[in-house]
Amino acid sequence: MTPHAAKRTVDLQVITEWVTPGARVLDLGCGRGVLLQELAQQKQARGLGVDLDVAKITACVKRGIPAYQGDMMTIMRNFDAGFFDHVICSRTLEEVDDPAAVITEALRVGRSLTIGFANHGYWKNRRDAFLLGRKPRNDVYTTAWGNSRPANPLTIADFEDFCAGQGHRIARRMHLRGDWKTRCTFRPNLLAGYALYELKHG
Amino acid sequence: MNDAALDDFEAAPAEPGEVGIVAPCDYVSAEPFTFDCGITIPGFTLRYETYGHLNAAGDNAILVCHALSGDHHCAGIHSLSDRKAGWWNNLIGPGKALDTNRYFVACANVLGGCQGSTGPLSTNPATGRPFGVDFPLVTIRDMVRAQHRWLQSLGITRLHATIGGSMGGMQVLQFGVTFPDFVGKLLAFATTAREGAQAIAFNEVGRQAILQDPDWAGGNYPIGGGPRVGLAIARMMAHITYLSDASMARKFGRRQVSERRNAPHPPASPKSGHAFDVQFEVESYLRYQGQSFINRFDANSYLYISRALDQFDLAAEAGSLEAAFAPVTAESLIVGFTSDWLFPTDQNRAIATALLRAGKRASYAELATDLGHDSFLLESPELYDLVRDFLAA
Repeated sequence: MTPHAAKRTVDLQVITEWVTPGARVLDLGCGRGVLLQELAQQKQARGLGVDLDVAKITACVKRGIPAYQGDMMTIMRNFDAGFFDHVICSRTLEEVDDPAAVITEALRVGRSLTIGFANHGYWKNRRDAFLLGRKPRNDVYTTAWGNSRPANPLTIADFEDFCAGQGHRIARRMHLRGDWKTRCTFRPNLLAGYALYELKHG
Repeated sequence: MNDAALDDFEAAPAEPGEVGIVAPCDYVSAEPFTFDCGITIPGFTLRYETYGHLNAAGDNAILVCHALSGDHHCAGIHSLSDRKAGWWNNLIGPGKALDTNRYFVACANVLGGCQGSTGPLSTNPATGRPFGVDFPLVTIRDMVRAQHRWLQSLGITRLHATIGGSMGGMQVLQFGVTFPDFVGKLLAFATTAREGAQAIAFNEVGRQAILQDPDWAGGNYPIGGGPRVGLAIARMMAHITYLSDASMARKFGRRQVSERRNAPHPPASPKSGHAFDVQFEVESYLRYQGQSFINRFDANSYLYISRALDQFDLAAEAGSLEAAFAPVTAESLIVGFTSDWLFPTDQNRAIATALLRAGKRASYAELATDLGHDSFLLESPELYDLVRDFLAA
């Protein structure tokens, strides 16, 4: 397994632990449905994936995972409050237009919202920017500038401030070191490479 | 990939094959059938075709549902001299998405149709003459209930899936609602749970073209006669709604028939003496579509089936679409096509959303095509993959 692929499975393990058995789960930016398949197998979750790309939807269908092709805000507006037990945004929020609106809507349709993101404040990313004067490029940010998708990178400090400002209650948080495995409890904004949060209503 | 999947892969033929020469059959039900409108007929006939083999358990069958002007002949050819194969031949066959090595595929001409099934052309036992407009008003649910009776007669215990586009998609949805225990998977493409005003409007223009043709004669025209002009115009207009601006531009553009090597009609034909004979290729194409349609379709059938399309409204009966879907137990795959302006993507999306709101397992995919409503019929490896994977999952 490549370092990148190994890192991809990390938040899968943590999120699987956090999801309650038999839960109804909405995965925003579900990709090929790997996480939802894991949740179906480990937690008998009833999942629905959302993605923009038809190839991703086809991959989900092949896995037996229901998936909806389209805009995440549009699909969420169709559901009543609390329809889903969990909404998951794993490495998705960096690429959405209005993350605050997505979080608000996800917290409406979901009883809880799990968010996973690479911490842009991690020291190696700061080093790339500060010492090298370059866009971070590593196992996580694999592409050169010209081949990268539009992104709105965030840090742990940004996210904590955001939640405090919006009044979103953080029910759980998990910070992982640069290996995306070891727990990080000291100065996470500098030393954690990956962060996971579970938000619940006020 | 696990070992079982590897075996399946190796057992499959290298290249998709053809179902080859097929022959239609008739199912005759001698039991009375009561339409949704309350009228009972003593029995009915459905003409159908099947491909592949039903397994011992009777549960590997896939029902294919056809659209307004379609019929039971959805794959293979009737004779070696056939120039065209069945209408969904690209999807159905050994090794194809609807793999006839694996599934028993069945398709019947709908009740109210004119390709061998009981419809307005059939003899009214009360008069000994064709029913004409005395035929009971037929609904999508009537079509589905008649098919359910026929499928049971074939020894099918439970459908693996039912699949269809456009009006075929309506039947698929209705099947899932009316016979939830009889079907495992629903595949509905380029369809709607209820038509919008635009689609009804187009159908009405088609009906008016037929009704205003003097040869319609109140619906009591003789077999072989009837409103040929009206039916051809109805077909020409409807055909436009199945295409798109982009596909017509690509296929015809502003090309004129006079540009053909052996141009049969110069713009101002001396034969007709006026300037309004065929000038553009698209005109020639539509006239051909209209003319070939009147040779295979009955005008009254067109009226009945287009009315069934317009009246179809799953939500109306139950109060909401999600309430209508409450009985569904099948898993669904809904596919919309970006260039379909007859049953636009939003209407396909609404089906998937309602199924999901009702707590059902449903997927929605949207294929970017520029071929319009008919996109579901055309060659699309993306669609084939979706169908194959959804049926196997």
